[in-house]
Amino acid sequence: MSDAILQVRNVVKRFGGIIAVNNISFDVREGEILGLIGPNGAGKTTLFNCITGIYTPEEGKVYFMGEDITGLPPHKIALKGIARTWQKTRPFKKMTVLEAVTVGVLLRTSNVDKAMREAEEILKFIGFPEEKINALGKDITLMDHKMVDLARAIATKPKLLLLDEVAAGLRPHEMDRLAGILRKINSEKRITMIVVEHVMRFVMGLSERIVVMHEGQKIAEGRPEEIANNPKVIEAYLGTKPV
Amino acid sequence: MVSAEFKKHFTILAILTIALALVPFILGFNQYYILLAATSLIFAVFVVAWNIIGGYAGQLDLAPIAYVGIGGIVAAQLLKYYGITPWIGMFIGAGASMLLAAAIGYPTFRFGIKEVWYALLTASLVVILNNIAHLPQFLGSLDHYLPAKTGWYYLIFTDYQNLYYVILAVLIATIVINLKISNSKTGYYLRAIREDELAAEALGIDVRKYKLKALMTYAGIMGFTGYLYIVLQGTYSYHTFDSPTSLTIAIMGIIGGLGSVAGAFTSAIFLKTVEEYLRSTIGATIPGLYLLIYGILLIVVGIFKPEGIAALFNWAKKKIGFDRRGG
Repeated sequence: MSDAILQVRNVVKRFGGIIAVNNISFDVREGEILGLIGPNGAGKTTLFNCITGIYTPEEGKVYFMGEDITGLPPHKIALKGIARTWQKTRPFKKMTVLEAVTVGVLLRTSNVDKAMREAEEILKFIGFPEEKINALGKDITLMDHKMVDLARAIATKPKLLLLDEVAAGLRPHEMDRLAGILRKINSEKRITMIVVEHVMRFVMGLSERIVVMHEGQKIAEGRPEEIANNPKVIEAYLGTKPV
Repeated sequence: MVSAEFKKHFTILAILTIALALVPFILGFNQYYILLAATSLIFAVFVVAWNIIGGYAGQLDLAPIAYVGIGGIVAAQLLKYYGITPWIGMFIGAGASMLLAAAIGYPTFRFGIKEVWYALLTASLVVILNNIAHLPQFLGSLDHYLPAKTGWYYLIFTDYQNLYYVILAVLIATIVINLKISNSKTGYYLRAIREDELAAEALGIDVRKYKLKALMTYAGIMGFTGYLYIVLQGTYSYHTFDSPTSLTIAIMGIIGGLGSVAGAFTSAIFLKTVEEYLRSTIGATIPGLYLLIYGILLIVVGIFKPEGIAALFNWAKKKIGFDRRGG
C-alpha cells in the first residue's frame, strides 16, 4: 500500500512470560486519524513504545514512510517525524510553557529566538491561554499540561502523532475542546494521528478508523460504527453475554 | 543583532567585573585577605562551572575536585619536569580532565546511570583517584611543591593580587560560557533532560550526547582552573583529591539554586567567605563548624526554597517588574 505512512508488521513484545503485544499488524494511512482502543492491559501503550523506540520489539517490523525504523532509539525516531504525547503527562516543571514548547521546535532549528517565536505561534494555534505561556510547568492545570504536551509534540514538526490517552482525566467539555484542537491539527497541519483512548465517546467521534486490541492481539479493525456493533469487541469490553 | 537580554547580562557582568576588580584596593592589598578573596573567587569558578552539569543537566556530579585535581596536577607536573609554562599546561590539563570526563561519562550515560547512582559513582571517583595518586608510581605520600620561581611565565607571584586577577578573568570567562550555554539550544536541551529524560528523548534530544557535552564542558573548565587552585594551595599531592572539598562545591551549587548562574556565584562567594572567616576566628576551638553550617543551610533550602538563593533574585526581579508596570 502506497498511502500507508506507518506499517506495523507482526510485532511481538514480551515481558518475561507475558506477551504484551502478540503478532500485531496494521497500517496507518496518510492523513487519517486512527483510533486504537482496547480494555486495560490490552497492550496499547506497549505497542506505542515499540513504535516510538522506547522498546525494541522481539519480533516483527515497523516501517515509517517505507523505511524500517524497528529498534531505532527514540530521539532518532522523533527526528524521522514521529512525535508522541504521554498517558501520564510528563511536564518540564521548572521550565515555562513557552520554553517547553521551544524545546520541541529546536529539533529542526538551532536559532533560539526564532524557535521561541515559532513556539508562541504553535501555542496560539492550539488555543493555549496567552496569559499562561510564561507560567512554570508546575503551576498549570491538567488540561494545560495536556495542551503543552501536545504543543511540544507538534513543535517537532512530525508527520505522525501518537496520542496516548490524551483525554484521560478531563471533564466532558474539556474533551470536546481537545477533540476540536486535534481535528484542527490533523486538517491544517496535515499530521496523521494514532489516538489511543479509553473514553469511547471521544475516540468514536474523532477517528475515521479504529483498531481494537485485546490481550495483546488485534481483534477488530474498521469504521467506528462497525466496531461498535462487533460482537468480539463487545465481548472483550463487557464479557460474554449470559445465555 | 544584539538582543536586549544579552545587553542586560553584559551590563550586569561589566558592573560585577569592575566591583570585583576593586576588591584588592578595598582590602588595602592586605595579602592574607586577598588570598581569602582569591579562594572565594576560585570556588565561584568551580560552582558556576558545576552549574552546567548539576544545574542545567541536573546530574548530581560529586566529582568536581577529580577534574580540578587531574587538570591542575598535569599542568603542575608539566611545569616542574618539562618547564612548560602553565599558559600551555592549563590547556593540556583541561584536555586531560575532559578525557577523564569522557571515559567516565560515556559508559555511565550509555548504561543510563543517573540520580543517586550517578552521585555515588562520581563520589567514589574522587576516592579512587585519591588512592591511585597515593601510589608510589604516581605522587606517593609526599607533598609536591611548585618550582620556587615567580613571574607571569609560571603564574606564581610574590603578591596575591596578580593571581586574584587571573582567577577573576577565568571567572568572568566561565560566567560568559555559562550564559552562552543557557541561552542556546544546548541549554534548552539540558534543562529538558533535567526535567524529564524520557520526554526529552521523545522530542528528539540525543540525551547521551548532550549529557556528555555538559560533563566535558564542565570538566574542561575545572581542569583549566586546576593549576590556579594548586598555586593557591601552595602544594599538591594525593590530598588534592579531597572528598569534602568536592562535596562542598556541589553543596554550594545546590544552595545557590540549580541552573542559576547568579545563585551559584553568590552562594560560592558568600559560603566560602563565611567558611574562611569561621576557620580563621573559631577554627581552632570548633574545627569543621562550617560543615555544620552547610548542613543546616541545605536543610533550610530543602524545606523552604528548593530554588535556593536564585529564588531571592527572582523575587527581586518580580518586585522590580511590578513596580515598573504599576508606576
